[in-house]
Amino acid sequence: MAATDIAIVGWAQTPSVERSTRTEPQLCMEANLAAIAKAGIDRHDIGFTCAGSCDYLTGGPFAFVANLDAAGAWPPIAESHVEMDGAWALYEAWVRIQHGDIDLALVFGSGKSSPSNPLELYPQQLDPYYLEPLGLDPLSIGAIQARALLDAGKATEADFAAAAARSLRDAMSNPNAQASGDHDPADLLKADYVCAPLRAHDVAPVSDGAAAIILATADRARALTDSPVFIRGIDHRIEVHQPGMRDLTSSPSTTAAAKKAGLNGSQIDVAELCALFTSQEVILRDALGLGASTTINPSGGPLGANPVMATGLVRIIEAAQRVADGTAGRALAHVTNGQGLQHNLVCILEGDR
Amino acid sequence: MAQPAAIIGVGQTKHAKARAELSMTGLCREAAVRALEDAGLDWADIDAVVIGKAPDAFEGVMQPELFLADGLGAAGKPMLRVHTAGSVGGSTVLVASHLVESGIHQRVLAVAWEKQSEGNAQWGLAGGRSGGIGAGGAFAPYIRGYMQRTDAPEYIGWQVAVKDRLNAMKNPYAHLQLPDITIEKVKESPMLWDPLHFLESCPSSDGACAVVIGDEAAAKAAPRKPAWVIANAVRSEPSTFPGRDAVRPQAGVDCAHDVYRQARITNPVEEIDVAELYVPFSWYEPMWLEGHDIAGPGEGWKMVDRGDTEMGGKFPVNPSGGVLSSNPIGASGMLRMAEAANQVRGEAGEHQIGGARIALGQAYGGNAQYFSMAIFGSTLP
Amino acid sequence: MAEPEAASAIMMDHLVTLTYVEDLPPNTVRFAEGLVDGRIIGEKCPVCARVIVPPKGYCSLDMVLMDSSHELEVSDHGTVTGFTIVAPVKYYGQTKTEPFVYASVLLDGASGTLGGQEIKGLPADKVRDGMRVKAIWKAPAERTTDGQSARGWGSVSGAIDGFESSGEPDVPKDHYKDHII
Repeated sequence: MAATDIAIVGWAQTPSVERSTRTEPQLCMEANLAAIAKAGIDRHDIGFTCAGSCDYLTGGPFAFVANLDAAGAWPPIAESHVEMDGAWALYEAWVRIQHGDIDLALVFGSGKSSPSNPLELYPQQLDPYYLEPLGLDPLSIGAIQARALLDAGKATEADFAAAAARSLRDAMSNPNAQASGDHDPADLLKADYVCAPLRAHDVAPVSDGAAAIILATADRARALTDSPVFIRGIDHRIEVHQPGMRDLTSSPSTTAAAKKAGLNGSQIDVAELCALFTSQEVILRDALGLGASTTINPSGGPLGANPVMATGLVRIIEAAQRVADGTAGRALAHVTNGQGLQHNLVCILEGDR
Repeated sequence: MAQPAAIIGVGQTKHAKARAELSMTGLCREAAVRALEDAGLDWADIDAVVIGKAPDAFEGVMQPELFLADGLGAAGKPMLRVHTAGSVGGSTVLVASHLVESGIHQRVLAVAWEKQSEGNAQWGLAGGRSGGIGAGGAFAPYIRGYMQRTDAPEYIGWQVAVKDRLNAMKNPYAHLQLPDITIEKVKESPMLWDPLHFLESCPSSDGACAVVIGDEAAAKAAPRKPAWVIANAVRSEPSTFPGRDAVRPQAGVDCAHDVYRQARITNPVEEIDVAELYVPFSWYEPMWLEGHDIAGPGEGWKMVDRGDTEMGGKFPVNPSGGVLSSNPIGASGMLRMAEAANQVRGEAGEHQIGGARIALGQAYGGNAQYFSMAIFGSTLP
Repeated sequence: MAEPEAASAIMMDHLVTLTYVEDLPPNTVRFAEGLVDGRIIGEKCPVCARVIVPPKGYCSLDMVLMDSSHELEVSDHGTVTGFTIVAPVKYYGQTKTEPFVYASVLLDGASGTLGGQEIKGLPADKVRDGMRVKAIWKAPAERTTDGQSARGWGSVSGAIDGFESSGEPDVPKDHYKDHII
């Protein structure tokens, strides 16, 4: 079986909200049940399950274990977990399903960002010897990256505001978006910086949410649906962690992953990018060589909905949705891990030929 | 179809209560460099890196693989971070193996580690709250359940504790080196979680383990014998639910049967030459012998009693000294796989079981709910 | 270059405080308020009819979401199905100093046990499986909704201070052997 013969046949996401009173396992179960229902499968036919979440985000060691309650793990299942966005759980399942002995996989990702303060939490995600003691927070890293981009002449603050205005406007038609609105970029530029050169509109919110996807081998996919969304390629690459040791204005790992995933200059109709800052959208667009013929983040992207640890799966879902409904012939989803675009995954999706 | 994959290099650190002279990166590199050397490879030969460890709160770094990428040659490559609680070292090997079995990569480096001296594992296991019971406190009721079901005599646990520590004397990497350990000393050591005495419990270790997994071409090119991954499986079940059998978890039974089926093993006790099982508390040796249908119900403790699981016995278990002798939690599962692999490679040094051709590696985690198992063979079936 | 020596390593203590403010799910809020009211609430799965205490808002075995319509009261009397005696270990935040019993109690009416309960009023070595116990309720004015978490399985500690012998005869092993945890 060729690696290209794996398709997405079902998906679901919980609406992204600032604060959910549902527990993470409850959110996961909601997403998993909906994805299973959309795929039209019996959960007992699932051959492999993989989840993505982060203990530190959830707030305790072994916190991910509770989410297993939502995975339909009885009778016992073949299951694994990554301490990463659910998109990497999808990658692991995509690898596993190629062995040929199973034809269905469930992947999900989840996170509740509401209990913690990102500025307090994410310094813990940095090199404990050299960076964390500096108290370097994610907003500052984003700002340093944005400043580098401006200084390199690769973007202007107006570009950032234009990306924000477009995303927030697009998010208005996304029922799952947490943030949305109709803004004139010129008005946005009048706001004060929250961390120069970033303004509030340049920074993705954080959401509580879960998302799930069902993968199937080609034969199974065609039996389940008239519009399977095929994963034509998927790859990911990580870069050096130390932000001072890489060019923050470019994303070579995104370029490399896209190439391995089969981008190769072909037309991309829709790209869902995990740009957590408007500045990152500029960087990613360049890294992927996306031009005016590509619609970027029609869902509104992370600026509209950013359920950390599920946000990557949401990008894949939004891209898949548009392939399935015919809006896009070929779509690309990008997911990031770490800070300042350290680790990037690219997935190329297409309908059946 | 799955392609053949083999462990072609193994490395581990000297495990100790504290490796204070090394940073977390240094600890991982000590194992990784050894694995690369064992495989006759350099960093540039590796296509992807898979990192596994137990809860990040144990060291106080959220997603430490992000900064470790720099020191483990991962820059420019795919990197995955696996986290399946105590079984993680095992499942990390399996994830790495899948990358090769699927034909996506040819040579994958898997690293698993824990630097418990830099945090506080007891605090971590307690979820940062008072009244923590530790891992032993969670498992002690299941152990009592096993003892009641089987009427096993109380000395069985002490016997396992002595066996594993004496085996560790033949493993220069093992944390605990207790040449004078005796049944009496185990019995007299303080009771931690009834019925587990101090000397029946694993230590808290700093340590790392690394393996290089290669495809058929890489295995043929490797300087030393490969350990073919002839079977691998994972199974999970929810932590607690009404009617759960936590003494003999169904996930453990199912996982074992999956690997036996893949390896075409119908009589595990006869067909497997040596096993490295995750035994952090002594009684888990007989419990896993039964829990994986190596011994029938009530027969696991008898295997121990007869000396079957000694190095010279008919079914040696944990010739490396096992988790009872070294427990860097994130690495312990990978150590089981690495030690099992080394047995069929003939690379187990002083604790080599002569003629071992089929070895079982097993790791478990969480509330005895996550299982990862693999069978290694000296020849490709 | 000489190998680094353990003795020359500089160890620095770096304490970090992370604050998590959690919203409790409605099922846990009802459970906690029930405790203050002197009631222990469970939920019954519409598929398998198992009664889970505390309510999680779903049945993990049948993959079914549940709500208040599935809730019911269970007894505050139960059976000890398994336990251990824990010797406390010192770590940051630990307040326990004496060995304590950590038991699972199967409340009458529940299908699953309430874990991590202290059995009081008798020496630890007299605690046994099959023992009949009843909850030691705090005085109504002292009961709080404390001890709950959005991440955990739910706690009775805000209103119940462990369990003690109920005076009933011990229950034979057959009645609880499937409920060790």
